[in-house]
Amino acid sequence: MAKDTLLSVEDLHLSVSHMPEARILRGVSFDVTRGKTLAIVGESGCGKSVTSLAVMGLLPEGLTKTAGHIRFDGTDLPVTDNEAMRKIRGDRIGMVFQEPMAALNPVYTIGNQVAEVILEHENISRAEARERVIALMREVGLPDPDHIVDEYPHRLSGGQRQRVVIAMALACNPDLLIADEPTTALDVTVQAQIMRLLKGAQAELGVAIVLITHNLGLVAQVADRVAVMYAGRKVEEAETRRLFSAPLHPYTRGLLAATPRPGRRQEGELPLSEIPGMVPSITEDLRGCRFAPRCPLASDICHRVIPEPRMIGATSVACHNTTETEAPA
Amino acid sequence: MTARRHRSTFRYIGKRLIHAAFTILGIAVINFLLLQLAPGDAAEALAGEAGTADAEYMESLRRQFGLDRSLIEQLGAFLLRIVTLDFGWSFRHGMSNWDLIMDRLPATLLLMGASILLALIGGIVMGVIAARNVGRLPDRLISVGALLLYATPPFWIGLMMIVLFSVKLGWVPTGGMYDVIGGKTGFAHVLDVMWHLALPVLTQAFFYLAIYTRLVRAGMLEVLNLEYIRVARAKGISENRIAYRHALRNAVLPLLTVVGANIGTFLGGAVLTESIFSWPGIGRLMFDAMMQRDLNLLLSILVLSSIFVVIANLLVDLLYAVINPTVELK
Repeated sequence: MAKDTLLSVEDLHLSVSHMPEARILRGVSFDVTRGKTLAIVGESGCGKSVTSLAVMGLLPEGLTKTAGHIRFDGTDLPVTDNEAMRKIRGDRIGMVFQEPMAALNPVYTIGNQVAEVILEHENISRAEARERVIALMREVGLPDPDHIVDEYPHRLSGGQRQRVVIAMALACNPDLLIADEPTTALDVTVQAQIMRLLKGAQAELGVAIVLITHNLGLVAQVADRVAVMYAGRKVEEAETRRLFSAPLHPYTRGLLAATPRPGRRQEGELPLSEIPGMVPSITEDLRGCRFAPRCPLASDICHRVIPEPRMIGATSVACHNTTETEAPA
Repeated sequence: MTARRHRSTFRYIGKRLIHAAFTILGIAVINFLLLQLAPGDAAEALAGEAGTADAEYMESLRRQFGLDRSLIEQLGAFLLRIVTLDFGWSFRHGMSNWDLIMDRLPATLLLMGASILLALIGGIVMGVIAARNVGRLPDRLISVGALLLYATPPFWIGLMMIVLFSVKLGWVPTGGMYDVIGGKTGFAHVLDVMWHLALPVLTQAFFYLAIYTRLVRAGMLEVLNLEYIRVARAKGISENRIAYRHALRNAVLPLLTVVGANIGTFLGGAVLTESIFSWPGIGRLMFDAMMQRDLNLLLSILVLSSIFVVIANLLVDLLYAVINPTVELK
C-alpha cells in the first residue's frame, strides 16, 4: 500500500447470506489516492453501489463479506455496522446519494440536519455549529445562507437539496467523499454545477472522491482514474485519459462505443453500437470470464479460466486476449 | 414570514369554527329526529317504572315535559336552547342537564385521558421495537399480542381482569371510583382513585394499544426504508436516534388522525367499560338516559360529544401543521 493511498479495497467478495451461491462481488480491488478522484463505472447491477455501501459499513441486511479487506487510512474497516464505524461515517468519510429529493428529512430544517452531523462528531456548542452551517451553506453556493438554514427541505429545488446533502457530507472535513450517482436525478445544467462544486471542494479541502456513475461523459471530465466493473468484478482500471484513448478490455471498448457523441459521423465511423447479450445473473457460475458469453473476442480459454487482472503498460486489465501489442506505448 | 403564517393560522381557525357551528347544529337536528323514532317517551318510562299510571297522569306529565307540543315546536325549542348554550332540565333527575354532565365529566375525562395516554406511550414503544426487529422474535410477540388485544372485546378483558385481580388475588377493587366508606382526603384520596382506576384504564387502554402499536409499526417500517434514513446513517447518527428522532416523527402522522378520532369519541366511547366497573362517568349517564327516555339529557350529551369531536378534529389538523412542516393550513 503506497504512502499516499487513503482507501484500499482488496479482493472484496460479497454474497447473499442465506444464498451463498448468489455472489454479488467476486473479488474487487482498487486504491484511492489522497485528494484524487476515482470513478467506478459499469452498468446497473454490476456491484458499484454495493461496493460503496460496504466501504461505509452500511451493507443492507442479508449481505455478507466472504473474503477481502477494506483498509482506510491504515485501519481495517468492517463491512457491517458497528460503533467504531459509526464514528468514522460522517466524520472522515462523507457520502452523497443519488436522490436529493428524498435525501432530506421533511420534518426538520436543513440547518438542523446539517448541524446534526457536526454535533454528532465534534464537541462544540449549538451556536458554533450554526455558524459553521451558515458558512457551509455559503461554500456550497446556496442563496441567502442566513435565511435558508431555517427553511424546510420541501421549499428547496432538487439542485439546492443536493447542495445541502453535499454540505452535510463535507461538514466535518472528511478525507473521503463517496458520491453515488450524485447528478443522475438532476437537470443537465445543474449536473455541471454540482460537479464543479465537488471538484472545487476537492481542490480546497484535499478530499478524495469515489465517484460512482454510469455517465462516461462526467467521468472523462472529473476523474483522475477510472475503474470499470462488470458483473461483480473489476475488468479494467487506468488513468482517465489513458482509459478513454486506449481502452483494453473488450467490455470497456463496448461501453465507449455505446456512448453517444454529438456532431456528424465521420466517414467510415460506425453508428452507435450496443453490446449484444445480457449480464449474467449473480447466481450464475461461469467457469471462465464473466464477459465471455457477450465478448466478440472470446476464445476457448475465456470460457475455461477466470482472467486475473494484470498490468499492460499502466493499465490493469482482466482479459486473456489483450496483449502488450495492443497497448499504446 | 412567521407573522404571515400566524395570520393565516388564525384565519384558518376562524373558518373552521364557523364550519363547526353549522356541523354541530346539523348533528343536533339529526340526533333529535332519530331519537323521535325510538318508541316510548319519558312519561311512559316513568309510568312503567311506577308500575301503574292512568291516562290523565300521563297527560299531565307530558304537558309538564313539553311532550304534547308538535314535533316542529319541540325541535325549534331544542335548537333555540342549543344556540344559547342552555342544555335544559332533566325531569328524570330533577337537575339541570349541565350540572348532571359536569358532575360526571371529570370521571370520564380521567378514565379516557389516562387510557389514551397509556396506550399512546405503550403503542409507540411497542411499535418502534417491533419495526426495528421486523421478522424477529420481539416483532412476532408484539404483533401477535396486538392482534389478540385487537380481536378480544374490551368488556371481556375487563371481566376477566376483575375475576383475576379483584376476586382471585384481591389486589384491586371490583368497581367504583373511590372507597365509599373511607372518606379519604388529600393525597390518600388521589391514591384511592388511582387504585380504583387501574383496571378500567387497562381495559380501555388495551384496545387503543393494539391499534396504536399496529399503526406505529406499519408507519415505522415504511419510513425506515426511505432514503433520508440511509442519509442519516451515512452521517454516523446512532440507530436509537435514527429510530426515535428521524423515523418516528414521520411515522406518527397517521397515528395522530386515529388518536384524534378516539379523543372525539371520548364521551360516549367508554359505555361498556364504565358499566363493567361502575365508573361514574358520562357513558353510564348516557346509557341510563337512553333507557329512561330522558331525551333532553341524552340530546345534551350528544351535542356535547359532537362539540368534542369537532374540537378534537380541529386540534389534530393544527397539530399536523406543527409536526409536519409540509402541511400548510389554508
